[in-house]
Amino acid sequence: MTIENVQLVSAALFALGAYGVVSRRSLITVIMSLELMFNGVVIAAVAFSRFTPAAALMSGDPVTAEAIRSALTGHVFAIFVTAVAAGEAALAFALVFAMYRATESVEITDAAEMKN
Amino acid sequence: MSIMEVSTLTTIAFWAASAMTLGFAAIVVTQRDVFRAAIALAGSFLGVGILYFILSAEFVGVVQILVYVGAISVLMAFAVMFIQDIASGSRPSQGRIVGAVVAVLIFAALAFTAYNTNWSTMDEITDPVAVAALTEGYVEIGEGNEMTIVTTAPESSTDVVIENDGVFVDSTSALGVSLIREYMLAFEIIGLLLVASLIGGLMLMRDPPQRDESEQETGGASV
Repeated sequence: MTIENVQLVSAALFALGAYGVVSRRSLITVIMSLELMFNGVVIAAVAFSRFTPAAALMSGDPVTAEAIRSALTGHVFAIFVTAVAAGEAALAFALVFAMYRATESVEITDAAEMKN
Repeated sequence: MSIMEVSTLTTIAFWAASAMTLGFAAIVVTQRDVFRAAIALAGSFLGVGILYFILSAEFVGVVQILVYVGAISVLMAFAVMFIQDIASGSRPSQGRIVGAVVAVLIFAALAFTAYNTNWSTMDEITDPVAVAALTEGYVEIGEGNEMTIVTTAPESSTDVVIENDGVFVDSTSALGVSLIREYMLAFEIIGLLLVASLIGGLMLMRDPPQRDESEQETGGASV
């Protein structure tokens, strides 16, 4: 397991999600694919945190607690992205429900008119 | 168990979790039945969570399982059950071939970049205090934020450090401190964002007849 392998998995998950976003008509499947893309990005962030050294630890200055914690920037990024994705999923489904009530359909081609 | 065996087991676990993640993700993007896609999505999220544990990001792994497998998957399943339009399934769109080409190009570009970048490695950390803090967790913060090694690890474990590739042993507590010190503002803003999305979701989900009634009421009052 090297950083290249993890990046490969991350890229594959992101590409699969991108394919799903473009190739499906149902809005629900599109949102699922978006979540897959989020996950691909977060895997990359965690892998960077795991395999590459934080710059503050290589500067040669005396090591401080902040410098040690800066090795975890990828984890912090992952948690924030997860929180944003959770909020985004809730809003997206509210929008899908609103659209379903208005047009009796959840297909992207019917979403051209979002006006009431 | 020797170091070699541990790293081999890690590699096997990594590829197994990756296969699980990507296999379920492939089902999500190809399955016509939306409910089956939702179930496969939960499996894919679980595989990603296992990947985080293998990458020694325990807290992120727990958050992944709680938020994605526990909450977002359930939200997806509810959405599928509420919307009765599943009979027609999730039909493929006309942009399918274009989408496949674009996805392959994205994957090729990212993989090319990953394999052709000269990544710096954890071996480049030479400061013994930093190495001890990352791989042993035995450091103490003294006067003026200076750090010293409390329990010196045995000499032989220096090799383990390099073999382990600089894994951060005590990441959860350090992450907690990090979130309320360096990232305090972002942490608060995330809370605000979640409240805003909660209220926005409630606003969008309100019953339209109720809104029409209130509009009629205000209209009647003004007349």
